[in-house]
Amino acid sequence: MANDKVTLLEAVNLALHRAMAEDENVLVLGEDVGVNGGVFRATQGLRDAFGFKRVIDTPLAETMLGGLVVGMAAQGLKPVLEIQFMGFIYAAMEHLVSHASRMRNRTRGRITCPMVLRTPMGAGIRAPEHHSESTEALFAHIPGLRVVIPSSPARAYGLLLAAIDDPDPVIFLEPTRLYRMNPQPLADDGKRLPLDSCFTLREGSDITLISWGASVHETLQAAQALAEQGVSAEVIDVACIKPLDLDTLEASVRKTGRCVIVHEAPRSCGVGAEIAASLYERAWLDLQAPIQRVTAPDIPPPLYRLESLYIPGVDDILHACNSVVHFA
Amino acid sequence: MPNNKVEPGFTRYLTPEGQLHTPLPAWADDFNLLTRLYRHMVLTRVFDQKAVALQRTGRIGTYAPTLGQEAIGVAIGSLMRSEDVLIPYYRDTAVQLMRGVRMEEILLYWGGDERGSDYAEPAVAEDFPLCVPIATQALHACGVASAFKIRGEHRVAVTTCGDGATSKGDFLEALNVAGAWQLPIVFVINNNQWAISVPRRIQCGAPTLAQKAIGAGFHGEQVDGNDILAVYDRMQIALERTRQGKGPVLLECLSYRLGDHTTADDATRYRAAEEVKQAWQEEPVKRLQAFLAAQGVWDEGRELALIAECQGLVQQAVTAFDNAGTQSAESVIDHVYAKWPAALAEQREWFLERAQRHAGGEDHGQ
Amino acid sequence: MKYFKLPDLGEGLQEAEIVEWHVKAGDTVKADQRLVSVETAKAIVDIPAPYDGVISKLYGADGDILHVGEPLLAFEGEGDAGTVVGRLEGGGGSEDDRFFIGAAPSTREHLVTRATPGVRQLARQLGVDLASLNGSGEAGLVTRADVEGAAQAARDRFGGEKLRGVRRSMALNMARAHAEVVPVTIFGDADLHRWGQARDPLIRLGKAMAAACAVEPVLNSWFDGKSLSIRQHQQLDLGIAVDTPDGLFVPVLRDVGQRDPEDLKAGMSRLRADLKARSIPPGEMMGATLTLSNFGTLFGRYANPIVVPPQVAIVGAGSIRDEPVALNGEVVVHPILPLSLTFDHRAVTGGEAARFFKAMVEALEKPE
Repeated sequence: MANDKVTLLEAVNLALHRAMAEDENVLVLGEDVGVNGGVFRATQGLRDAFGFKRVIDTPLAETMLGGLVVGMAAQGLKPVLEIQFMGFIYAAMEHLVSHASRMRNRTRGRITCPMVLRTPMGAGIRAPEHHSESTEALFAHIPGLRVVIPSSPARAYGLLLAAIDDPDPVIFLEPTRLYRMNPQPLADDGKRLPLDSCFTLREGSDITLISWGASVHETLQAAQALAEQGVSAEVIDVACIKPLDLDTLEASVRKTGRCVIVHEAPRSCGVGAEIAASLYERAWLDLQAPIQRVTAPDIPPPLYRLESLYIPGVDDILHACNSVVHFA
Repeated sequence: MPNNKVEPGFTRYLTPEGQLHTPLPAWADDFNLLTRLYRHMVLTRVFDQKAVALQRTGRIGTYAPTLGQEAIGVAIGSLMRSEDVLIPYYRDTAVQLMRGVRMEEILLYWGGDERGSDYAEPAVAEDFPLCVPIATQALHACGVASAFKIRGEHRVAVTTCGDGATSKGDFLEALNVAGAWQLPIVFVINNNQWAISVPRRIQCGAPTLAQKAIGAGFHGEQVDGNDILAVYDRMQIALERTRQGKGPVLLECLSYRLGDHTTADDATRYRAAEEVKQAWQEEPVKRLQAFLAAQGVWDEGRELALIAECQGLVQQAVTAFDNAGTQSAESVIDHVYAKWPAALAEQREWFLERAQRHAGGEDHGQ
Repeated sequence: MKYFKLPDLGEGLQEAEIVEWHVKAGDTVKADQRLVSVETAKAIVDIPAPYDGVISKLYGADGDILHVGEPLLAFEGEGDAGTVVGRLEGGGGSEDDRFFIGAAPSTREHLVTRATPGVRQLARQLGVDLASLNGSGEAGLVTRADVEGAAQAARDRFGGEKLRGVRRSMALNMARAHAEVVPVTIFGDADLHRWGQARDPLIRLGKAMAAACAVEPVLNSWFDGKSLSIRQHQQLDLGIAVDTPDGLFVPVLRDVGQRDPEDLKAGMSRLRADLKARSIPPGEMMGATLTLSNFGTLFGRYANPIVVPPQVAIVGAGSIRDEPVALNGEVVVHPILPLSLTFDHRAVTGGEAARFFKAMVEALEKPE
């Protein structure tokens, strides 16, 4: 089975199985995660394998869930909480911001919070309202949290295992649109990926394309189109949104001198702004053109019929690349 | 419409004057125990007033006094086992002291120093620090209790909150999950009649707060929070029941907030002097003292000696607090993550360099 | 109203009975002034005022029992801390809160021409005024093409015939020399009455310059203004300015000091012939250590000829003519050769130049 192709979703499932098998303190909880295996089947099979005490179908109360895992983690359990959609995470925010992120600091390490919160994020699945959120910037802003967004089965697997290992709270955002796309071979070997590193997906010399989440898909397509035009694009999947591996991003931009950042979240105060500001601080002398950001506009995600106007597409990315490559 | 009226039980053993209201339970024959409880209430009060005085003289910051509510914390703190876990709110000096938190740690916390939450006493290693966001601690307690249940441990999570907290979603969601999962948890409400300036009568439409447990499927009752014998009795039963896996208990202790909400609050703005005067008549320390005196096991001499002893202990704690110094700049940054991330190394350097440039640190207090 | 509450009386005492007030409403009190005497279970205690103030109201009459924390009296004035946590600082200067909506006027007026640093540099080099351009790039960005186009247009507006070849080189070289060199000129005359027959002074001038180089060798050097270093030469390779229909050429007569005049004359003839035939190798025009401009063969007396870097000096020789001169108190007519020495004062001092000049003139004034 080692090299069967798996989807991102299946990779998440494999990682959860492995983590629970390796450490009896790991447990999975959330709405519909047990008997139903999760509404996307991310937790499929876990209840049968590990029992109802470790795979818990909870009452419908996201605030409760946010606080519950703080208490569990304080007691040395490693709860992996599934919030059904990012649109429902806000009820748990008080516990993430006021407690999970601070418990270690305010007790000088006496009490810690090794929890993971997993939730599907992003638009593009023709879902009803409130199922298309991309608000990773809210969490990236909170000291004490880690924010991780995989964009491939291999990275989902390695990063989720690392997130569960990590002694600090991790918000693990899974791009819904990528859940079943692009299956890839994956070895269920338990290999962790680092939680403080970007991943260079494509090596190039003329322009650096920086993205994460579902937008990595379009960014890779744009890089291919650019190659056909004779422009060599380097594509970097940020993945670990917080803390941010600026060294990798800086080195790439110093090499290419040109940069386009692509994210699905709305433009203002998105994580792209943090990356751009940091790159300007570090590499402005090496830039041949201003950094461009390709993002959604500052609007709530539209209902699905006009979703394509919201999600950054390959053409949008190419347009930005064009202005950067041909600048002055 | 069918009648939904419920009457959760109410327990009181001593009248405000310290006389028998109801025959005492058997355990109350132990006058050594009662005297110990009295001693702890007095120590709490002496320390509490010293904390207020320290705030007034700028040596600690805002403090939430416990004046008048000593019975609740002393009772529940003395009954909890060391393997149980306390998840308090912020007006919990009494129970913190009973559990083994040191007085100087309490002063450090309110004096703006995180070491006040890093308890030295091993017995309280797993107790939660004070909690400011109202009622959120109730959910943490459910998490702790869940861990006990999942691991099959006979331990109980005890969580406290005020009357105001019971309006909050976190509290109600906590009751709900506690009832749904039959968690080993005791919810203790310190209903001291006031949520800052908002009186109990406009906080909730239900006649008692105890009956919220019914909506969550478990037992809730009221107890006279000024009568330590009543609190002790009902808490003992609640802990035993819960420890045996018979589900959660909600204990609503009726008391009165004789002090201001915090040292920065001025309660005379919103409540009548008459009401406070009346409440003083019911206060718990004098009540137990009167009872013990009537039993011939307490007198003025012992009282004076106790006061002196308490003042000595408190002074020792103040000295320890004064000698605690200030935390290093590193401590501000190095406990945010298990290990400060390499990606933020530059920030750490900048921060420490800046700290060095600052002339000294701030004195504790203000 | 500022409430003063019954303070902690110590020793765990919680209540006190008012025995006697010592102040009344309306009184002004000072800090520590005795306000009231109260009786506790232990003693009668005086309670002092915690600060200066005016009493606005007393709470409790004689005989009333108050508990610790209950209001004793109220002071006049703003007592409301206005918070339940922490402490809000007040005070501070209350100035007008003035602000512009949006940008300040100077910001609005600040029209900056947008161009990358590279393009700005190019504009400077080409002498193009950026502010006068409309940028053709995005959002009015001035591009390289814009600047080059403007420079070209400026040139085209002038019209005329473009310089080529030697004339073009002259324009470039003279401009460069002018930009670098710090020129000073000394004028002087050589009295040639001892020469006998008047001859072509060119070779004599060359030999005289060689003699002067022996006296002040620094004038036979090359100087580099960037590194501020100087390189003296052992022999005099003299550049001789020659005017031709094709323009100014400066072939080099090598080692003037060591060769005899006949040899030099023959060498010079060869150079002239090659120039006329337009067959002179470029190497013959390079490496001059000093230059002589014998413009006197045409016309003129004195001049400020251009020092051509890396050389540090140039001699200009004017037309020989008979002039009245004073000699032993009498006026006589002698053939006089007007001379000019321009030197680069970055490398050569006035004294060195003057001594060189004097030595040159002395050599020239000898009979043969």
